[in-house]
This record gives sequence, C-alpha cells and structure tokens, in this order.
Amino acid sequence: MLTSILASGLAVGAIYALIGIAYNTMFSASRVMSFTAGQLGMLGGVLGSLFVLRLGLPFVVGLLVTLACCALVGILTEIVAVRPVLKSLDQHLYVLSTLALALMIQHAVAVLWSTEPHPFPRVFGPASGGITDEKFWLPILTCIAAIVALELLYRRTLVGRAFLAIAEDNFAARALGLPERDLRIASYALAGMIGALAGFAGGALLLAFVGNGPLLNFYGFVPVALGGLGNNRGAIVGGFALGIFQQAANFLVGGIFSSVAVFVLFIIVLLAAPQGLFGAPATRRV
Amino acid sequence: MSVTRRQFAVGSAAAAGAAAFPFPRPAIAQSEPIRLGWLAAMTGPSSAPAVGFNRGVVWAAEQINAAGGVKGRKIEVITRDTQGDPTKAVNATQEMISALKVHAVWGPTNSGESLAVTPIMARAKMPNIHPCVVDSLIDTTKFPNAFRLAPSNTQWDDAVRGYCLKIVGAKKVAIIGDTTGYGVAAANASATGFAKDGGEVVYKANIDATQPDMTPDMLRARNAGAQAIVVWSTSTGMDARLFNTRATMGWDVPFVGHPSMSSGEIAGLVDKPANWEKVYAIGYRSCSYDDAGKLPQRNQELVDKLKGKVNLADTLLWWVAGGIDAVNLVAKAVETGSSSGEDIIKYWNSVKKYPGYFGDYTFSPTEHNGYPTEDVVMSAASTAKDGTFKLAPGYKA
Repeated sequence: MLTSILASGLAVGAIYALIGIAYNTMFSASRVMSFTAGQLGMLGGVLGSLFVLRLGLPFVVGLLVTLACCALVGILTEIVAVRPVLKSLDQHLYVLSTLALALMIQHAVAVLWSTEPHPFPRVFGPASGGITDEKFWLPILTCIAAIVALELLYRRTLVGRAFLAIAEDNFAARALGLPERDLRIASYALAGMIGALAGFAGGALLLAFVGNGPLLNFYGFVPVALGGLGNNRGAIVGGFALGIFQQAANFLVGGIFSSVAVFVLFIIVLLAAPQGLFGAPATRRV
Repeated sequence: MSVTRRQFAVGSAAAAGAAAFPFPRPAIAQSEPIRLGWLAAMTGPSSAPAVGFNRGVVWAAEQINAAGGVKGRKIEVITRDTQGDPTKAVNATQEMISALKVHAVWGPTNSGESLAVTPIMARAKMPNIHPCVVDSLIDTTKFPNAFRLAPSNTQWDDAVRGYCLKIVGAKKVAIIGDTTGYGVAAANASATGFAKDGGEVVYKANIDATQPDMTPDMLRARNAGAQAIVVWSTSTGMDARLFNTRATMGWDVPFVGHPSMSSGEIAGLVDKPANWEKVYAIGYRSCSYDDAGKLPQRNQELVDKLKGKVNLADTLLWWVAGGIDAVNLVAKAVETGSSSGEDIIKYWNSVKKYPGYFGDYTFSPTEHNGYPTEDVVMSAASTAKDGTFKLAPGYKA
C-alpha cells in the first residue's frame, strides 16, 4: 500500500506542482492569478495525443509542437484575458476574464476533440502496470528537469534575471528600461510550456481528456495557495505533499471523501498560515 | 346593424359553449404523407446513439416508401437536431406539435431531453415513442401517450443482478459508480436490488471518474471478498483504469455492468487487450452473436440486408434496429387503420409481442415499458463486431 501511495502520489503531485509553477510564472509577471493554468495542462495531454498518436509525428517533434502550441495559448491569455484588466487589478476582473477564456478553451476542445478520454502515447514501450511504469516516474522526472531548467534560466541568464526583476518590482524594472510588456508576454509563453509539460508528462496517467482541465485548475491552485503566491519552491513542496496526501486519503477514507480530506487540510493550513507555508506575510511601508 | 343585449348574451353563450368542446384533432387524411417527428441529438457530445438510430430511421422510411408507402401514403421523417440540449428539444417539440403537425414523435434519444419534453407531448396527446432509460419517463397515468422502446434503468439493473447471482454465482459483489448523479443513483438502486434478492454488497463506492489510480477501491473490494464488481458509470476512462488495475493486482474478478464498458474507445485505453476480458456489459439478445458468430435469425437477415447500405462498423446494431422498429411501429399503426394520434396510441396499447428487430415489444394501457426484460443480457465487452457483441458465457443461445 505504501509503495502505491508513494508512486501515484508523487506522480500526481509532480503534475500539480508543475501546474502550480505555471500559475506562479504568470502571477509573477502580471500579479494576475490566471485560471487558464489547468487548461494548459489539459491541452498538453490532448495535443500530445493528437500530434503523436493521431497524426503520427515522432515523439520529440510532437512534444516540441505541443510546447509551441501551448506557448501560443499562453500568449493569447496575456493578450485577451490579462492585458485588458491590468489597469484595474484591485477589482479582480482577471478572475472573470481568465475563467471565461478557460471555459472557451474547454468547450473548444470538447467540440473539436472529444468529451471522452483518449489514450496517450507511451515513450518507453508498453505499460507494465506496476509501480515501475513510466506513468509514475515520468512526471516526477519531468518536474525535476523543469525545476532545474527554471533555476538555470532565472539564475544564469540575463532574460531570467529580467523576469525576476519585473516579478520583484515591475515599476522599478520599467524605470531601468526593461521591456515589461515583452517580458510579461514571454512569461505567459513560458507558463504555457510548463503547463504543456505537466499534461504531456502526465498523459499516460491522466489520459488525453478534456475533463482534466478543471481538475488541474483546482488541484494545481492548492499548492500555490499552500506554498505562497509566486513562490515556486512552495508550489513544488505543496504539490508533492498534496499528491501524497490525496492518494493516502484515497486509501484510508475512499475516493469520494478524499477531496473533502484534501480541502479540510487546505483550510486548516490557510487558517494557520494565511500567506501560505512558504510565503512572507504582506508588509506595507508606512 | 345594432346588436341587442339579448343577442350579445346568446352569442357569447354559444361561443363559450363551442369553446368548451375541444377541436377535433386532425385525422390522417387518406392521401397525405405520414409525418413522423424525429427528435435526434445528431450533434454534440452525446450524439452517437442518435446517429445510429438515424441510420435505421432513414433506411426503414426508404424501404416503406420504395414499396409504395403505407396504404399509398409515404412516410415523411421530419428531423430536428436537438444537440443534446433540453431547451432545443422543447423548442423542436413545440414546432412539431404546433407548426409541423406531425402524427407521432420518435425520440428524444437521451433522458435529459426526454424529461423536458414528455409533459409537453402528454398535454398535446402526441403519440411518442422513445429509447430513454430513466424510469419516471414512463407513467401511463401522467403520460398515457409515451411509450418506451428500449429497456428502463430498472430492467438494466435486473439483468445485471440476475447475471451476477444466477449465472456467475457471485453472491458477494462490490458496486462501483462514478460521482455523477446517474452514478450515485444507479449504484444505490443496484445495492438495494442485490440486498432484496439475497446478494451481499460487500463494498460500495462512488469514484470521481478522473481519479487516476483505482488501486485503493479495487484493494478494498478484494479485501471485502467481492466475487464480481458491478460498475455503473458512463466514463470509459474510469472503466479502463479499473480493468488495468485488476490486471496489475493479478485478480480475475469479473466486471458486470453499464454498456459503456463495451465502448470501442476502451480498446485504446487498456494497457493490453487481455485486460478487457472477463468484462460483461449490458447488451441485448437480439444483437448478440453466439459462439459460431451467428445472430438470431431475424437480425442475421437484417444485417445481410443492410450490408453495403448502412454502415454498422462505427455504431451499434441495436441503435439501428431501434430506429427501424420505431418507424415500423408508426407505419403498422396506420396500416391497421389508425387515423389520428389517439388511434395510434390505442394501437400501440394493443401491441403484443410485436416482432421488431431490436426486440419483441408488448404494450398495454397500463404498461408502456415494451422491451422484454429477459432479452436484456450481458455481452462480452471486448467482442464488438459490426455493432454486435458476443453473448456473455452462461446464457443459452
């Protein structure tokens, strides 16, 4: 039982963590919580299946095209749902605009693709079914690779430092001559690719299914809230913890109650630490 | 011309008296076509059944018309695409009753739409025959005009329970539904039925259809001693995960239940074809083939006739057969002399063992569930062949 909890818990947790990072990447660049993050994950699975299984593209090409498509969806999100509401962030109109876009994506996929789950291509041969199956370790490996790549991007490249600068203080960054709008668009494209990676790596586990959009939107947001808005390390820890806790709850109290258990824990944590486990309390200079 | 108060009073009374008598419903004129309204969810997420039914409807109407019609009158099928949306179904029904003045309505093809339109058709006394499974859609007191051509939920439930208890010999069962309204209601009804018939429900659960790992529930079912797992879900993803988990656990328990378990999409979702074996989904005797690959004679002849004219490879034979039967039941009513909606209802109420392709229907004024329960059988889920399935083991062919 323990191995099963760990295998599927860590795998699902890795997917949640990546969706959480996608949320954070968009939030850092715009202060907007874009509820399209889960749909990006869903698109990663659906497009991966479309390009590799249905259209027969080689796996690597399929992955690259999926990443490119989701980057475009990220850019579209910035243009359609985020940019128009940036001037009135205090009114939280972005909740409506990003949710509306998420719903449009969801319905478009349902009409153009299918409402039924479809198989996802296997990278390393047929399924073994056991805990050594790629559906369990591939999401974890992908999550680790994404974390390392992001760390390198943020710490070792000029563009990465520019991302951090606008995340830290976009007014100051603009005053220094950084192209804030272009960097914001690039951040949304990056978030699109991270979301796509989550769906692509988790495709064998979650299948290519339109219903994964709302699921990932929901469960991908929990690690962000637990870990602190904009805090990627918090999202990673929160994602893995959520996956393991959810799977343990499935074993201990049953599927229908596991969601309840997850959200009871979520509320308790937020009551104890409203800024998230790894977030700093909001301060205001007076 | 002046009108006196007395004349006005007499005129008003006469008008009121005339209004008290209902206008006679138009009888079917001897030469006009028989207009059959067809409410079909031809597009949208739940369009597969309507697409299949439609093939049968079109084929049957063409056959009758090519043979000169019914007593010289052609069948005119008037189709409205309801897209699975109850609002559109209501609008189409109103149009069929008020503007198109159809003689009978076939459909809708899903219960959500049917729940919305059945009372409307009852008010208009419109003869209506449909294949929807929700039990409450048939009520001879409230809806004396509504007839069901396919089995009800209860008949499905009876068939599944009968197969588990009497044929598989599984007295201890686990019942798994999804978390939709249908999944919860069907699982509860199934559990009640098993308890009533002497079975023991050792484990019952409702699982979110998107849950990626089914191991926890399958382990609980095994530890509880389940000898069969009854599944009530329309989610093929959930079905496939259950089958894959069973294989990983090395457990050979049979799955019995909802027809979605025989959906062709599952072939791509199971880790290997063997995982789909020992899975028995609800099917129909008329559309099930035996060990020799033969259908019952009537339907073998139908399939031979349809070959090259109606595509059966991407649909189910019972959908096509049901569409044919619906058209034929209306045609038969007219052939036996029905000249109004009330006559059609009267004829249907008198039907006993009508030999349709999907089943032998029997209706009466107090029973409008026309499909014989004994013809609801289990099919071996992975054996689809031109819209038919192999009869599950244990039945007499």
